[in-house]
Amino acid sequence: MSKREPFQFEEPKASGAQVFWKSLEEKNAVDAELTSRNKAKEAEFPLGVAKIDEGAVFAPSAPAAKKAMPGEMSDKISRRGFVKFGTAVTALFGLEACARRPLEKLVPYTRSPEYVIPGISNHYASVTNRGGEAVGLLIETHEGRPTKIEGNPEHPASRGGTDGVVQATIFDVYDPDRSTGPRKNNNDAKADQLYAEFGALLAASDKDGGATLRFLAPRSNSPSFVRLRKNVTDRFPNTRFHVYDATSNDNAIEGARIALGQPMHALVDYARARTIIALDSDFLQTEPGMIRASRSFADGRRLRAPTDTMSRLYVVEPSYTTTGANADHRLRLPARDVERYVRLLAKEVAALGIDLGPIAASLGNLPADGIPENWLKSVAKELVDNRGRAVVVAGRRQPARVHALAHALNAALGAVGQIVSYGSVVDPVGYTNNNGAFEVDAAASLSALVADMDGTKVQTLVILGGNPVYDAPADLKFADKLAKVKTTLHLSEHIDETSSVTSWHLNRTHELEAWGDQRSMDGTWAIQQPTIAPLYDGVSDIELLAFIASKAADGKAPRPKGIDIVKETLFELSSPQTATTWNQFAGQIDGDHAFSKQWRAALQRGLVVGSAPFSFTPGEARGKEIADALSKGAPAGKALGADNVEVTFAACPKMVDGREGNNPWLLELPDPMTKIVWDNAALVSPKTAGDLGLVAGDMIELSKNGAAIQVAVWVQPGQADNSVAVTLGWGRKKAGRYGNEKGFDVYPLRTSDSSGFADGVALRKTGASYTFAQTQEHQSMEGRPIAIDATLEEYRKTPEFAQFRTPRPKTLPLWNRQNYSTGHQWAMTIDLATCTGCNTCVIACQSENNTPSVGKEQVAKGREMLWMRIDRYFVGTDEADPKVAVQPVTCQQCEEAPCENVCPVNATAHSPEGLNDMAYNRCIGTRYCANNCPYKVRRFNYLEFQGGPVGSSVDTMYGDLPETTKMVFNPNVTVRMRGVMEKCTYCVQRIEEAKIGSLRSGKPLKDGAVVTACQQACPAGAIVFGDLNEPGSRVAEHKRRDRGYDLLADLGTHPRTTYLGKVRNPNKEMG
Amino acid sequence: MQLFPRALNKLGLAVAVGSNAALVVVVCLFWYYGSPKNLQVGYAPLQPVPYSHRLHAGDLGIDCRYCHANIERSAHAMIPATQTCMGCHSIVKTDSAKLEPVRDSWKTGAPIEWTKVHKLPEHAYFNHSAHLAAGVGCVTCHGRIDKMEVVRLDKPISMGWCLECHRDPSPNLRPKDQITNMNWTPDMAPAGWQPPKVNPPTNCSGCHR
Repeated sequence: MSKREPFQFEEPKASGAQVFWKSLEEKNAVDAELTSRNKAKEAEFPLGVAKIDEGAVFAPSAPAAKKAMPGEMSDKISRRGFVKFGTAVTALFGLEACARRPLEKLVPYTRSPEYVIPGISNHYASVTNRGGEAVGLLIETHEGRPTKIEGNPEHPASRGGTDGVVQATIFDVYDPDRSTGPRKNNNDAKADQLYAEFGALLAASDKDGGATLRFLAPRSNSPSFVRLRKNVTDRFPNTRFHVYDATSNDNAIEGARIALGQPMHALVDYARARTIIALDSDFLQTEPGMIRASRSFADGRRLRAPTDTMSRLYVVEPSYTTTGANADHRLRLPARDVERYVRLLAKEVAALGIDLGPIAASLGNLPADGIPENWLKSVAKELVDNRGRAVVVAGRRQPARVHALAHALNAALGAVGQIVSYGSVVDPVGYTNNNGAFEVDAAASLSALVADMDGTKVQTLVILGGNPVYDAPADLKFADKLAKVKTTLHLSEHIDETSSVTSWHLNRTHELEAWGDQRSMDGTWAIQQPTIAPLYDGVSDIELLAFIASKAADGKAPRPKGIDIVKETLFELSSPQTATTWNQFAGQIDGDHAFSKQWRAALQRGLVVGSAPFSFTPGEARGKEIADALSKGAPAGKALGADNVEVTFAACPKMVDGREGNNPWLLELPDPMTKIVWDNAALVSPKTAGDLGLVAGDMIELSKNGAAIQVAVWVQPGQADNSVAVTLGWGRKKAGRYGNEKGFDVYPLRTSDSSGFADGVALRKTGASYTFAQTQEHQSMEGRPIAIDATLEEYRKTPEFAQFRTPRPKTLPLWNRQNYSTGHQWAMTIDLATCTGCNTCVIACQSENNTPSVGKEQVAKGREMLWMRIDRYFVGTDEADPKVAVQPVTCQQCEEAPCENVCPVNATAHSPEGLNDMAYNRCIGTRYCANNCPYKVRRFNYLEFQGGPVGSSVDTMYGDLPETTKMVFNPNVTVRMRGVMEKCTYCVQRIEEAKIGSLRSGKPLKDGAVVTACQQACPAGAIVFGDLNEPGSRVAEHKRRDRGYDLLADLGTHPRTTYLGKVRNPNKEMG
Repeated sequence: MQLFPRALNKLGLAVAVGSNAALVVVVCLFWYYGSPKNLQVGYAPLQPVPYSHRLHAGDLGIDCRYCHANIERSAHAMIPATQTCMGCHSIVKTDSAKLEPVRDSWKTGAPIEWTKVHKLPEHAYFNHSAHLAAGVGCVTCHGRIDKMEVVRLDKPISMGWCLECHRDPSPNLRPKDQITNMNWTPDMAPAGWQPPKVNPPTNCSGCHR
C-alpha cells in the first residue's frame, strides 16, 4: 500500500497578511504557548459555546434557576421517563400502522376572489416607516396571506433593498401575543361601546375647545396624519399634540434648523463622495435611511478593475457599529468627546483657508487629549483637498449643535448641492413657523406634557402608538404622572407596558393590514396598502384621528375608513386649488377620471408619480446662529475614568427602541458586532475591563443621580476606554411570550438631557454573573484564510491578491469531475468590498425558507438554525483597537461536495445544475454531512422547532405553534421536522418557479429572472446570483473579476459561491 | 441418557432455513401489498356532493378546464368554487336534491369540504402547469376520469411511478391541444408530429424543496 503524503496547507500568515480573530478568547489562545484553542479543538464544543451548568442564569430576574420559556424542552429527562416515552411511541407507531391514511379535506372558495389564483403569489406595493424614512415595499401574498416583504425597486428609499427589521416585521402580523381587541381598565371591552363612550367624552370636551385634552404620538411621516391632526385642532382649538419617540431623529432635524432655518433632513449621495467623516453616525445600520445609504455607499466602493477609485470612510465613534466595521480609519472616542473632535477638526479646516465665518471664533480652545494629531491634520487636509466631494455626517445621538457644525462644514467645503441635498420634514411638530422662520416649540415636547399631567390640566390623554411608559426618559416619571390623568387611551398592537396601565386600550392594525401613506425624506409619496384583512379588527392611527376629528363621533355613525382618508389626502395634494371638497368630488368620479387613474398608478407603482423631490433649495448656512449654538453649549465635564464612566445609548439594530420586542427572528438574530443573541449587554473595552476587574458575564450596576440599572458585561474590542455602550429596547416586561425578560432594560438610566449618552456614571461590580449565548465562535474556521482583504494600493499592485492566499490544490481530484458545460449552472458571488455586514440577508433567508428560531438555550448549545451567518473577524494585533472584516457564509454549493460522499442514505446529492440538493424525507439524521462540511453551513433540527406534523401536539420551544404563526410560512418551502438536516438551497423554489414559468411561456430564462432571497434583500447589492453558462450574465462577469476567490480553495471543493476580496482604502498619511 | 431424540439435530437447520424463508415471504408480501400501487390505487371516498365526472366530463363533454380553470397557470388544479357550480345550476336542475349542499354553500357562503383523493406528501411540490406545458395529458395521471361516477385514484402516484415518466417522458407526451382529450392515443397524432424534447428533472430539488 502506497503511503500518500497529507496535503500541506499553505501557511496563511504569508507576507503582508493580517491576523484574523473572532473573539478575545481566540486571540489570547493563539498567543499562548500551549493554546487553549487546541484544547478547544479536542473538546467537543468550540469556544463560545457556553458550558451550561445546571444553575446557569438565563433570565435577569431569575438569579437561582434558569427560567424555561413556555413549553421549552427541558434537558432533564429521567431514564424512567425516557423508557416511558419510548414505549408509548413504539405502541403508537404500531397502532398507526392499523389506521388508514388520514382523511384530508380540500376547501375551495365559495365565491372566487378576483386576482387570487391558488398557487400563484400576488405582490402589493406598500410602504413602511423606518425611523423617519419611508421605505417602499412589495408584499408577497399567498391566497390573501402576506408571507414575505421585499423592497420596491422603483422606490428611491429602497431600490429593491430592505433592512433586517423590515424583513422581520412580517412576523409581527402573526405575532400570537398581539392585542385582539379593545380593553377598558384591563378588561376586554366591546368596540362599539368604547367608541360611544369615547365619542361622548370628546363631545364634552367641545365646550372648552379641548383644553384638557392632549395627544401624544411619535413623529409621523404620513401626510394623512398631518392633515387629520389639523382637523382635530380645528375641532379642539385648545388641545395640543405632543411628540415623543425614544429613538428620534430630532437632534439632526434641530441641527438643520439651526444651520439652515428650517427643520430638514440631509440626504447624502455617498456614491459620489470621496471622503466621508462619520461622527458617531451609524448610517449603515441604525440611522434612518440606512437602506438608501447602504446602496449609495456601496456604489462608491464597487471595484470592477484596479483602475477604479473608491471612497474613504473615517469613523469616530465610541463603540463598534456596522459603519465602524466598514471604516477605512476608525477612531474610538467616547461619544462625549466626538463634539470636541469635530470642533478641533473645524479649526484645522479653517486653518487651511476654508472660510467658516463667525463659526471659527466660537469653536473654543479645547485640548486634543486622546485625539492623534493626524486625525486632525491629515483628515482636515483630505477634506479640503476633496472639496465638493467630502462630507461630514453626524449621528443622531450627538447634540444638535454638532449637526449644525456638520452642516456648516459641508456648506463651506462645497458639498451642499454636490453630494448633500435636503428634504423637508413631513411633520414638523415641535416647531412653530413665524413668517418662514422656524422656532422650537418646547410646549409640544413630552416634558411639557408631563409637567401638565398634574391631575387638572390634562384630563384626557390620547396616546397614538409608541410605548412611553416603557421608553420615556426616566426623570419625567411618566408612569407616575400618567396615573394622575383621569382618562387615558393607548392605541397599540400589544397590551404593552403602556396599554396595561391606561384606562382604555384600542388594538391597532398592523401596517400590513391598514391603509396609510408615507413620505420619504426626499418627498416620495407612497401609499400603504393593506395586504390582509385585519386579523383582530382594530383601527389605524389615522382612522382614530379621523374619528376624533369628526363631529358625529358618537359611536353610532360609521367610523371613518382608512382608504377614504388616504384618497382624500392624495386628492388635496393633486388638486389643491379646486374649490370642490373631497366629499363633493368623491361621488362624481368614475374609473376614467384623472384622479382615479392617478390613484391606481400610485397603488401599482408604489409611489405617487412626480411627488419627489421636495422642491426647495437651502439658503446659506446661518453662521451666526451656528456660532451662537456652539458657544452656548461647550463640551465639558470631568475626565472620564474608572470612577466616572460614560454610558452611550444606541438604538438596537434588532429591537429598535423596543418595538420589535416580541419578534423571535430578531431576538435570535446575532448582533452585527457582538454576535450576542437574545440579550443586550454593556460593552466595555478590554482596558476598562482590566482596570475594573471585569470579565464577560459579570453583572455590573451603572448608576447616576440615584437611578441605577444592572447589566451584564461583554468585553468588546474596539470599544472606547471608559465608555460603556448599551442598546435600547431590551428587558421588556410586557412584550409577549418571546420577548419578556430578555436582556436588560436600560431606560431607567436614560434621562431627558442624556438621551444619547450620559457621563459621570458610577460603575460597580455586583458580584453576580450571567451567561450569554452568542454565535461568535460557532462554526469557527480554525484560523485559515477565510475573509481576505487588501488595501487599495495592494490591490492595484496585485489584483489577484485573494487567489494568491487561497491556492487551488496540488493533488488530483479523487474522481472525474462532472461536466457542467451545458444547461443552467447556478452560482453566486458575494462582494466583500461592498458587504457591510448589516444582517439583512440573514433575516430575508429566514423569512423565505421557514427557518425556525430556537431560543437562547439551544443557541448556547450551538444549535442555531439560520442558514446564513455573517462571520465577523477582528483584524490586526491590537486587541484594544482592531479592524473588522465581515463575511456572509452560507452553503457554498460545492461542485465536489464533501457532504455528499458521506451521506449513507443519499439524502444530499448533486443536481445537474450544480446545486447541492437536500431531500429532507430521506435524511435519517446521522449528521455525517455536517461533520464533513468544511464551511460548517449545515443545520440540524435537534428538536421539533416548528411544531409537529399537522394536528399533533409535539412540544416545541414555544409550546404548540400558534395557528397565526403558521400563516407566516412560505408555502413553497417544506417546514422541516426534528431529526432532519437542512441548509441553504440557493432558494431552489425560486429557481424552479422561474424555470416552470419559462417552460409555460416558451421563452428562455433571462439573466436576473432568478433572484435569491438574500440577493433581493441586500441593500448594498453585494450578492449576485445567476446562470454561469449564460453568456453575459452578471454572475459570470463577477466570477471573472480579479478579486475573486474560493473559500478554502485548497480543499478542492470547487464551490459555486465565491467571494470578491475586501479592499480597504487607507490614507497613507494616517500611518 | 439421551434426553432429546436424534432427529432433533436437524431442528437447528430447519429453523435457520425456515425463518429465513419466512422473512423473505414477509418482505415480499409487504413489498407488494404494502406499496402504494396496492394500498392507494382504487381509493374512492364518498364526496359531500355526489358529483359525477362521468356525466359532466364524459356524457356532456365539458372540458376539464371549464371547472379546473387555472390549471395551465398554477401549480394547483383547484377544486372549483361553488360559484362555478352555480354558474350552470342556478338555471339547470335547480331543484335537484343532490345539489342541496351546493345551494346551501352558495346561500351561506360556507365552502364545500371535498375529500382529497390525489394526495402527495407535503415535501413533494407537484406543478400542474409545468406538466401541461410539457404536453402530459390529464388521463396520464388521473386515468379515465370521464368514466368515473366517483373519482378514484387510478395511479399509485408514488415517487417510483413519477420517476418512470421523468426518465423517459416521450411515450406520455401529446400535442398541446389534446391535453384534456381522454380518448387520445399516440396513433391519433398528426403526421410528422414528434414528442417535444422536454428535460424533466430527476434530481431531488426538481420536486423536493
